Order: sequence, then structure tokens, then C-alpha cells
Amino acid sequence: MRVLPLADPGVPDVRSPIRFLIWVVNGQRATLTGGMIFGIIWMCGQATVPFVVGRGIDQGITGHSTSALLTWSAVLLGVGIVQAASGVSRHRFAVANWLTGTFRVEQLLTRQAARLGATLTQRVQLGDVVSSATTDAGYIGNCLDITARLAGSIVSFIAVAIIMLSTSVELGLVVLIGVPVLMLLIGPLLRPLHHRQTELRASVGQLTNFGADTVAGLRVLRGVGGEREFFTRYQARSQDVRRKGVSVAAVGSILDAAEVLLPGVFVVLVTWLGARLAIQNKLTVGQLVSFYGYAAFLLAPMRIATEVADKWTRGLVAAKRILRVLSLQPVLAQTTHPVAVPRDGDLTDTTSGFTVRSGEFVVVAAAEPSQASALADRLGRYVDPDGEQQVLFGNVPLTAMALDDVRATILVSDKDPRLFAGTLRDQLDPHRRASVADVDDAIDAAVAHDAVESIPGGLDGVLDERALGLSGGQRQRIALARALLASAPVLVLDEPTSAVDAYTEARIADTLLAYRAGKTTIVLSTSPLMLDRADRALLLDNDRIVADGRHRELVSGDARYRSVVTRDEESA
Amino acid sequence: MSTPNSALLPVADIAEVKAYASTLIRKQGRTATGVLVSYALAGITGLAGPRLLGDIVGAVQKGTTRAHVDRIAMILAGFVVAQAIFVRLARYASSVIAEKVFAELREEFLRKVISLPLSTVERAGTGDLLTRMTSDIDAMSRSVRFAVPEVMIAIATAVLTLIAAFITAPLVALPCLIVFPLLFLATRWYLKRAPQGYLRERRVYSHMFAGITETLEGGRTIDALGLRDKRIRRGDDDVRRAYVAERYTLRLRTMWYPFTETAYVIPVVAALLVGGLLANSGHASLAQVTAVTLYFQQLVDPVDRLLGWLDELQVGASSLARLVGVGRVPADRVATGAQPDGEQLRADGVHFAYRTGRDVLHGIDLDVRPGERIAMVGPSGAGKSTLGRLLAGIHGPGDGSVTVGGVPLVDLEIEQLRREVALVTQEHHVFVGSVADNLRLAKPSADDDQLRSVLASIDALDWVTALPDGLDTMVGSGGLILTPAQAQQIALARLVLADPHTLVLDEATSLLDPRAARRLERSLAAVVEGRTVIAIAHRLHTAHDADRVAVMVGGRIVELGSHDELIAKGGSYADLWASWHGEGPASSGPHSSGRPVSLSGQHWTPSDPSSHTD
Repeated sequence: MRVLPLADPGVPDVRSPIRFLIWVVNGQRATLTGGMIFGIIWMCGQATVPFVVGRGIDQGITGHSTSALLTWSAVLLGVGIVQAASGVSRHRFAVANWLTGTFRVEQLLTRQAARLGATLTQRVQLGDVVSSATTDAGYIGNCLDITARLAGSIVSFIAVAIIMLSTSVELGLVVLIGVPVLMLLIGPLLRPLHHRQTELRASVGQLTNFGADTVAGLRVLRGVGGEREFFTRYQARSQDVRRKGVSVAAVGSILDAAEVLLPGVFVVLVTWLGARLAIQNKLTVGQLVSFYGYAAFLLAPMRIATEVADKWTRGLVAAKRILRVLSLQPVLAQTTHPVAVPRDGDLTDTTSGFTVRSGEFVVVAAAEPSQASALADRLGRYVDPDGEQQVLFGNVPLTAMALDDVRATILVSDKDPRLFAGTLRDQLDPHRRASVADVDDAIDAAVAHDAVESIPGGLDGVLDERALGLSGGQRQRIALARALLASAPVLVLDEPTSAVDAYTEARIADTLLAYRAGKTTIVLSTSPLMLDRADRALLLDNDRIVADGRHRELVSGDARYRSVVTRDEESA
Repeated sequence: MSTPNSALLPVADIAEVKAYASTLIRKQGRTATGVLVSYALAGITGLAGPRLLGDIVGAVQKGTTRAHVDRIAMILAGFVVAQAIFVRLARYASSVIAEKVFAELREEFLRKVISLPLSTVERAGTGDLLTRMTSDIDAMSRSVRFAVPEVMIAIATAVLTLIAAFITAPLVALPCLIVFPLLFLATRWYLKRAPQGYLRERRVYSHMFAGITETLEGGRTIDALGLRDKRIRRGDDDVRRAYVAERYTLRLRTMWYPFTETAYVIPVVAALLVGGLLANSGHASLAQVTAVTLYFQQLVDPVDRLLGWLDELQVGASSLARLVGVGRVPADRVATGAQPDGEQLRADGVHFAYRTGRDVLHGIDLDVRPGERIAMVGPSGAGKSTLGRLLAGIHGPGDGSVTVGGVPLVDLEIEQLRREVALVTQEHHVFVGSVADNLRLAKPSADDDQLRSVLASIDALDWVTALPDGLDTMVGSGGLILTPAQAQQIALARLVLADPHTLVLDEATSLLDPRAARRLERSLAAVVEGRTVIAIAHRLHTAHDADRVAVMVGGRIVELGSHDELIAKGGSYADLWASWHGEGPASSGPHSSGRPVSLSGQHWTPSDPSSHTD
């Protein structure tokens, strides 16, 4: 088995779902072949058992030969051991096939999601597609897993057919035609069952969501009441699920009965015809017993055949969804011949008329928060400005530079910076570049010590998914410390203290200024505590910079500015 | 906010789980017996095949007529039909029971969840509960719906088949017993290890999906900080973990399968060999040998099913332990029946610690006058939120007392507590359901007109009426998604309906953008009208408008007084206020007159309608 994860999952063929599946298959031909070989041995072993038992009865018992009895018993034991060994090997190969296929696709999807980055966040509906695609990876695995059993089924079916036809053409034909007919008879029963199962799954899903929703809102519920109401509603839904479950069972149990009845009747038919042939001495008793066994055995390959049809159909649909993700391209065009990023320089946004000089600390107050975010997006090149407009750094348009270089030079910490599960230290310094003292300084500057202390184990403590164990304000300050520690030449912070109390905000404003001394820093905030510290305070209204100066001058001299930063509604 | 999140919910022990499961089963009484009987009948009728085939073989050997063969075939067909009928009855009846038991189980669980003590709900977080509500119930459903019935059928069928083999020819059947120790030992070895292995697989996979979700949702941050390779590594690490976990269970199966597979074939070989020898020496008939051999071939299926479901049953039992465990959380209060005399809220010498020995509050005294507005300000970690929770009766104080009308809050029935004081937080959950459903939580008896007038009072009727179905519009996940401000207004409307005389507001509007916050502040103003308010404030204008400001530092109230008094005092509040207004550092002197005229914003009280003109 290949050790997973693969160092490189490779470049998939995304031209069509079929081609994609072929590409996946080509990547693991060796284990697929292995699985098929052992699948064939294993199922042929199973098919041989009735034959050996029949021979044992004919030669050993009817023929009164102890040595024949011993021989056939030994053969039977041998077949059993070969079957056990090949069964385990087949299983191991099948698992290897499933794992390699599933995980390889999973790796491709993770790489694609990481490559798309902000593109995914900007096109929210894509998130759903991708997350469904990750469960789809398992369906690809299922397609591969079943190949071993499929190969075994085909070969063993042919083998049994040959044995039977050579023993009795008449009975052989009954069995070979009868088994597929049986499967077709059971088929129509499956449709209403699938239909009701789908309904049941939908209401189970709704019930689970309702339960999850109740848990999510439990504080509210325990706070203002409504428990009884909720219980009644949950109970109503739960009883609905129960009824649907029973209705599935009503059809399902008929199917169970049919799975007893149809093969049973078929076995009776074979036995009856066989017995009639045996009376006429056209069949030995041992062969009659063998036919009884074959009739029962052949149902297995037929079941596998329907399973293959089901899994391959699902696999194709899954491949289609996966390809929708794998063929996505990032929204921003990459430059073919990138210009080197200037070491230093002013940052200018022509759309709004915003300019920050190298080393300056400016705070931009926006009348509309969404305009502030739009400015941040342009400054960090998360979107390109409209038409002729440009964003220039050291007089070079950002579009002329390599995107990775822009990211390394201009760090935009957006309104909702995400923390990831892992240790806090890893969070703050993901690239392991900072010294212990650096980390401490950044935590100081973000006034985040209480957040660090609240995590058991401090810096080496582990954050859970999305750092849900921290309060909003704590998460915000940890993210701020992380942004500071990255020490980008240009730092853009969008509302870095919106969830922080005024006391802490005032301290952050002071420490931030000192920490970023000499480095270009742009803060988007309407807080007077922040604006007061800035070298320049700017007002952004209708996507234009409309005021520029020291905070205190603007507060007293500019009514529009005052209305935005002091929330004074009278002058608005 | 510095709450340790180690407070996981309890898990029931084995004895409790067993007791619970047996109560569940016993409750089903006769129906359960009926199911067992029909399974037994289905099993018995299924045994006719090998026996009758044996008879045919024996008859053919001795020479027989077509009529005899036809008759046996007819009988065989009759048994097959009967078996199918019994299978249908048994499967259906057992599903009815399984669905009923499972419904009771999950409803009972939800009942326990929604009656969890307030302090547990606040502290334990929802992650653990959510896992129990989703994954554990899901695991239980597999157990109750499939594993339990399959195991029952398998046991019944296997036992009956064995009995039939022994009745047919005890001597021929006897040698098969040698495989049982083999099967037992191998399976015991496997079952000791398998459940942990499969549980680990589940954990690893959910970690893998959580990682992919993080990568998807954090795309912007990943781009900004250049975390692309790191996320790919995380993905690969998850794959590696999943691979290791899968390899482990694969190894277990690789050890176990050869034993079971061999154990299946040995009885068949033994029946053929020993039966053949006995037949050749005249101690058994060909019919008997054939029947027993076929019985043992037929035994493989139920035994295989039985073994296959055992680990699932174990996983189900551990899920059940977590579901039952929720009921073990002790109540955090016992209502004494004492009735408050008046609406006066008081804290006297209050100490509180989440972890023993680490006090978060050090002797708080606070006398809240009815109708008063108090703003609590102070740096993060000062204990503001904790004090807020104590004042709302969510936690009881470790030392000292928090009383309303002379009665400790934790001595009140929860319904009564809600009429006295309510905690309003940033958390504004919108439940799945209609807008009206969301509001009626607080007052089930309210009619639509009352709901409308409450919405109107908080300035929310316009947008609710504009929704596609008005009050009946489905909201919450899966329905219409409300903006944070709208969600918060729903929460406020609930408060008006619940109608407590005192409100504790914990940063209720701080996460909203300024424009939404402004509208919300007006709604809030309508809600707080005529009520006592303790507001934990991020924004200083909230403090400015309060009757009194309490400055908390390090678990103590260090300054308490009106805005003007605190400004005059020249302490930390005065410094902050000055800084907020850009009036230079406080070291330049007290700023008692430092309020610019332009700042007349009345952010809570609608007493000055002229200030709301936008």
C-alpha cells in the first residue's frame, strides 16, 4: 500500500468526469490490479465449495470410499484456507484503493481551496460547493473499492456457468437465466424504498438541525424562556421522523421478505428440477447438492453488480461536482512579467484620492463601514479598482507586481480575521520567524495578555476550531497581535478594536503607534481614541477622501467629520 | 469572559447505561415479546431447506417416485413462503419498536438539554452538547435502527440453525463445536481494540472536515498572511492521521478475519468428513449428512452479521453513555419559595471564582436603585461580564450575596427570575422558525397584535412587515437570514415580552457597525424605558448618559459615581474621557467642564425626540 498522504497528488485531468476518473484509476493501477486478482481468487473459492461438497458426497459417501472422502474434505479445507487468505488480501487491497482514491482527491481539494484563498471568501456560494465536494471524495473511493469484488463476481459467475452447463444444460440455463431475472424482479421494489428513504433522510436532517439550533441558542432559551414550546416542537418533529421511519420499514420489510422469498422459490425450483433429473439418473445426488449451492451462491455476484451500478453512478455525479471546484480559477489576474516591489514608497489609491506617505500612521474614518472595507480591499489588491483607476506603491501599480509580493509587502487585516485551530504560538507566528521577545512585544502592543492567559497552557495552549473558546474581543486582539508580528512594510487594519472596550482601545491606540513607529500603518476606524493618535486623520465619504488633518482640528473645524466620529446626530 | 472551558459535561457509567437501556426495552413489554416470537418463527421456517434437501437426497439414493419429490418440493415452497411472511412481520414490528425507542431517547435527551442549569449552559459552551446532539444521536440511530435488530436476528437464526443441526444428527454436528473457542478468543481480542479504533477514525475525519472548513472560510486570512502552504500541510497532516487510524483498524481486521473465515469453513469440513465416515459405517444417513453440511454453510451468514455489528453496538453504547450523562448535571439552585419584596437589586461583599482559589471578583458592593441606569466600564478581564452574570442570577456568588427585594437571586424559580432580571448579550441567536415563533418564546400567550405592537415600540415593525410573509416569515438557518441588527432587535422584542424590571446589558450593541448600532440604540432606548439597567459598556457615550458609572479594575469597583462626579475626581475615567474627546492627556488637569456642546446624544433615553432625526 502506498503511504499517504502523497507527496504530490499530481495534476488532475479536469476535462470531463470520465477523464478525471480515468486519471484517478491510472494513479493506482497496481493496487487496483492486486485487488482484482485476489477478488477473483476469493470469489472463485466461494463458488468452488458447492462443487467440492457435491464431489465428496458422490465419491466419498455414495461411493463408500473413505480415501475419496478424506481427499475431498482436505480439498474443502484447502479451499477454505485459500478463501480466507485471499479474502483478507482482497480486503486490504480494497481499503488501499479506497484510501488512495479518497485521500488523493481530498488533497487536491485542499490545495485548490488554499490556492483560491480570498476568491472563495468573495464568492460565498462556492463554499458550499467545496464542502460538498470534500464528502464527494469518498464516493470516488467507493468506485475504486468495489472493483476487486466486481472482477471476482464476473469471473466466478462465468466459472459457475461453465460448470453448470457442462453438468446439465437444462438446469444450467434455468440458473443462468433465473438469477438475473430475480434481480430485475427485486429492482422495482427498490424505487419506492429509495424514495421513502430520501424523505426519511430529509426529515432526520431537519430534526438534527432543529436540535443543533436549539443547542446553539440554548443561552437565549434558558435566558428568556420557551423551553416547553421548544420541546413540543421537537417532539412533533421527532414523531414525524418516527412515522416516516415506520413507513420506510413498511416497504423495507417487504423487500426483506422478497429477498427471502424470491431466492427461496428459485432454490426450490432448482432443487425440484434437479431431483427429477436425479431420479432419471441424469444427475448424481452430489451434483444435486452442488446445484442447490450454486443457486444460492450466484445471488452474491448479482448483488455486487447492482452495487457497482449504484456506486459508479454516484461516483460520476461526485466527479462532476469535484471538477466544478478543481477547474475554478482565482479572480485576480496574475501578471506575466511582474515588476519588483519597490523597497519603500507612498501608497496611493486614485479612486478615493487617498495617499499615505512612507512611515506614516494614518487613521481613516469612513461614513459607511463598507466603504472603508472597499478601500482596504483595493489597497491590498483583493479587488482591482474600476476602469482607469489604480493603486500605486512607490509609483508602481499593484497590478504590475506579483500577487505574492504584494501580499508580503502590504498586509490587510480585514474586519473578520480568522484564527485557526492549533497552538496559540503557531497562530501568532505561523511562519516561525519571530523570537520569544518579538512575540511578547506584539502581545503587549495588542494588549492581548489576558487572552493569552485565559487559554490553559498560555502560548503553548491549543485553540479550538475558530478559537470559539475566546471572547470576540480576545479573538480580535490575538488577530491584531498576529498582524503586528508579521511586520509587513505596510499594514492596513480594518476596525481592529470594534469588539474591544474603550479602556483597552485607548491602550491599544498608544501601543500600536509605538510598535509601528517608522512603518506605514493605515487604520480604518471611527473611534476618537484611535483618530487622536494618528499623524493624520482622514474622512472617507462617498468613496472620496473629503477631510485630511489632525483629529482635534477636524473635530472642531469639520462638521461632517464630527458627525461621523462623535456620532453626534444633531449636526448630521 | 475568562471562563475556563474545561467544564465538560458528565458521561454516564456502564451500570447507568445498562439500567437505562433495560428500562427502555422493558417499557416495550408485549410488543418486544411479539417481535422475538416472529423472529424465532422466521428462523425456524428457514431451517426447512437443508433438512428437506437432505430428505430428497436420501430418497433419490434409495430410489423414489416423481410424486414424492414433487410433494417435498411443495412443502419446501410452503416453508419458504411462510418464512417470507414471518420475516416481513418481524422486520416491520421491530422497526416500529426501534423507531419508538429511538424517538423517546432523543426527546428525553432534548428535555434534559433544555433544562440544564443556567450556570452550566453559560460555562460548558455548546460544542460538547452539539456533538452529543448530532454525532451521538446519529450513532445511536445506527445502533437502535440496525445493530440491535440485526444482532437479535443473527443470534436467533444462528442458535436455531445449530439446534436444528443437532436435532438432525447430533454426532455429525458435534465436531463443529471445536471452532467456538477459536471464534470467541479471536473476536474478544478484536472487540477489545476495535471500538476505540473506529471512534478514533471518526474523530480524525471530523478533524479533517473541520480543517477544510477553516481553510474555506478563512480564505482571506490565508491569502493575507501567506498561509497557503501551511493549510496544505494541515490538510496533509489530517490525511496522514486518517491514514494511520485506518491502518490501525485494517491491521485489526487483518488479524481477525482469517480466524473467522477459517472458523466458518471448519464445521462444513467436519460435517462432511465425520458425517461421511459415520455414514459409511452405517451410523448416519446420507440425508442427515447432507442436511447438517448445508446447515453449517447456512450458519455462516448470521454469524458473520452478528460479528459485523458487535463493534457498532459498542460505539452505540458509548454514545448512549454521553446522552444519558447529560441528565447527571446537578441542579445549580433550589428555589426556596421566598418572594422578593420590591425591585431593589443589591450586591453585598460578593466574591466569585470559576476555579477555586482564583477569585475573579474581590468583594463587590453595589446598590442598584430601581429605575437607575448604571454603566460598568473598565479594561478587559476586570470582571465586568462576570459581575453582570451574577447580577442576572446566572451564577450564585461564592461569598456574599446578590439579592432582589431581599431574596437571593439563586433562591428564585427560574420563571420568576426571568420576570425580575434578564441578561442581554452580544449573542443574538435567531431560532429556526417564524418571526412570531421567535418572539413567542418569551410569552407563549401573546397574540399577533401584541407582537406587532411590541415590534412597533422598538422600531422594528417596518422591516418585519416588509418580509415576504410578515410575522410568519421563516427565519434562522435554512430560512431568511436576518442582519445582526435585525437579530438583535428580535432579541430586544423578546425582552419586552418577557418584561423583567431589571436588565443587564453586556456589550449588547458593540459588534454592530455604527449605523446599525445607532438604530439599535433607539430600539434599546424603548426597551429600557421604565426599567433598571446595568450596562457593561464598550462605548463611552453609553457611560456618559448613565446615571452612575462604575469603573471596574481587577475584580473591584474602583470608581463609582455620576459622569460629572468622576470627571471632577480626575481618576482613570476622567483620563479616558478626555482622551476620547481629543482634549489632550489628563495630566493637564481635571476636565469637569470638558464636555463639548455638540455632544448631546441621548443614546438610551428617548426623552429628547429631537435628537433622533436621521
